[in-house]
Amino acid sequence: MYKNSSLRFLFPLAVILLISSCGQSGQNKSAVAGSDSSNFSSAKAIIKYAKGFRIDYYDHYKIVSLLNRVGDKTDTLHYLLLPEGGTPPPDHPGLPVITIPVKSLVVMSSSHVGLAEFVGVADRIIGLGSMKYINSPAVRQRIKTGAVKEVGLDNDVNTELLVAMHPGAFLTMSNPDAAGVGKNKTLAEAGVPLLPVSEWLETTPLGRAEWVKLIAALVNREDIVNAKFDSVEQEYKKLAAIGAASATHPSVIIGMPYKGSWFMPAGESYMVQLLNDAGAGYHWKDTKGTGSLSMNFETVAPVALKADYWLNIGTVDSKKEIAGRDARFTQFAPFVKGTIYNNTRRTNDIGSNDYWESGTANPQLILADLIRIMHPDLLPKDSLYYYKQLK
Amino acid sequence: MPVISPTVRLAGLLLLLLLAFLLDISVGSVKIPLGDVFHILFSSSSKDDTWKFIVEKIRFPKACTAVLAGCGLSVSGLQMQTLFRNPLADPSVLGITAGASLGVAMVMLAGGSIATLFAIRELGLSGSVLITVAACLGAGLIMVMVLLLSGRLRDNVLMLIIGIMIGSITTSIISIWQYFSAPEEIKDYLLWLFGSLGGVTNGQLLILGSVTILGLIMAWLSSKMLDALLLGENYARSMGLNPQRARLIIICSSSLLAGSITAFCGPIGFVGIAVPHITRQLFRTSSHRILVPACCLIGTLLLLLCDVLSQLPGNQTALPINIITALTGAPVVIALLLRQKNINAY
Repeated sequence: MYKNSSLRFLFPLAVILLISSCGQSGQNKSAVAGSDSSNFSSAKAIIKYAKGFRIDYYDHYKIVSLLNRVGDKTDTLHYLLLPEGGTPPPDHPGLPVITIPVKSLVVMSSSHVGLAEFVGVADRIIGLGSMKYINSPAVRQRIKTGAVKEVGLDNDVNTELLVAMHPGAFLTMSNPDAAGVGKNKTLAEAGVPLLPVSEWLETTPLGRAEWVKLIAALVNREDIVNAKFDSVEQEYKKLAAIGAASATHPSVIIGMPYKGSWFMPAGESYMVQLLNDAGAGYHWKDTKGTGSLSMNFETVAPVALKADYWLNIGTVDSKKEIAGRDARFTQFAPFVKGTIYNNTRRTNDIGSNDYWESGTANPQLILADLIRIMHPDLLPKDSLYYYKQLK
Repeated sequence: MPVISPTVRLAGLLLLLLLAFLLDISVGSVKIPLGDVFHILFSSSSKDDTWKFIVEKIRFPKACTAVLAGCGLSVSGLQMQTLFRNPLADPSVLGITAGASLGVAMVMLAGGSIATLFAIRELGLSGSVLITVAACLGAGLIMVMVLLLSGRLRDNVLMLIIGIMIGSITTSIISIWQYFSAPEEIKDYLLWLFGSLGGVTNGQLLILGSVTILGLIMAWLSSKMLDALLLGENYARSMGLNPQRARLIIICSSSLLAGSITAFCGPIGFVGIAVPHITRQLFRTSSHRILVPACCLIGTLLLLLCDVLSQLPGNQTALPINIITALTGAPVVIALLLRQKNINAY
């Protein structure tokens, strides 16, 4: 009886798993040097880290290709970015068209907001999947004035509202392989320019951040965003070099178990990449997989009892709350030593955490925090940005 | 087949249970030599503090929880099956499990709302304690409703149907709540739904233990009533039994058992429905004087062995206990029932 209620949650997952590939066959591209037009950016985005998308520049249009995530990373979806008033090129028939520069956005996740903020177009957001998780003051101000509407998440998307809003682009969180099913299909057929922005599937921090270039391509801001991203990249690399040179590698545990299951980031996940770059010692860094490892309490306990740091601990805010969750946690070394740090410093009054918003586009800030925490001799610890020490 | 007296069978089961208990404590993801396990258990000292932590704080409480949950759920199932004279009855049919789930959903899914956070901080309660209290209250609420209704209804089948209806209503309320909740809150709730023996520690174990033992004592004392009810209410009345009061005591005991265990471990399915069948097949009796303790032993044995299976050495993940109980237990029940071909006990 009560198990049925889990279906709602598991259904999108099932869809993602079931649909292995759908979409058009790949098309040959003959990239031509971009031309200057008033509606077109002269700069081109070159993708170095992100594995989930590609942008090809043509004479007077751009083509965005999203790559499938299963197996061979072939193209699954193509979108034609066409300047306003432009005619669709004959050699790419039937592609969904997004008119650029995009003037209004409906976004689904907080990281989309972070990406838009980075590109400087957060003020073009007219719709949000949920209003609950917003940190950007600019967007919150627009919510207050009624300039932003709530359209609902996942399967709860209000199709009618979305169609009536005529957004310039609708950024979904869906896996590109599942972009053409269910409500997404309905929306696409109704002419909503839908684009899956699945930065969460990237396995490196810079790869995640690089999705800003996709937003940039939508609004013709490649030049500014390229420069901004370059500085993020340089900063990140500089910090990673500092982390790599650290003499010690303090051991770290992540998260908190619930009912005996402890989800620890797997070795190929972006969190572990961050830990490695910060010069941390992570017990499971050689494991396979880009998601998380589900382990029992007993497996983690020997590591947790002797760990140096305990990070990203979830929704708790004090050591007292941690002890309230499970008295056994008080025996972990980080609890005894007071080396528990949570990524919740920038949680606002409505409980929304900026780590998940601006953190996506600013991995260098996260990395700096991690180095400051674990190697205070390399960078001073006093000015953490996303992290705070739990007391 | 030579006739073995039920007492001998019970003693044999008890021995098996002790072995299973020790086995459950000795195996796990972390390899600890058997000698050290015993050393830690009996002298509470070890050369390795990590081993001591694992045995004392993880494995021992978990095995104890398995014992309590095994006893409680199977006896509760036995009572329900006899009371409703229905082989499909188990603690969830009266909506008691759903009531506990509602309590948990209230805490978890409203976790982001100001009211709950305020309550947590003000009362100094956090996490597990609050969830447990809420689950007990939820189970208790449904139980009181069922008891009030049972006072008006004299028919057990009607009672059964009403129980299922109440369960459905409760589940719908939870679904509505889920529908409007954030994904990460739903994730916690779903994990709770999978059931777990590993989340019950010291103080909670004491509470769970006392409530379960209270429920078991009530069940034991009501075994004569259960015997009489099995023969029909008229017969029970002719024996000088007040069926109304018997029903009250049995529902009370069953709710205490199912409610508290669901609160602490999540809704562990299958044990409640399967163990009474296994027990009746093995003991070939309908006397609850024997069935109640036998259910305790077999239920415990089943849960302990399932826990061992879910913790096999080299296996780092914790498979939810619900998956294992059904996977291993269901074939046993099917095999036993195929031998019998019909159920005569009702």
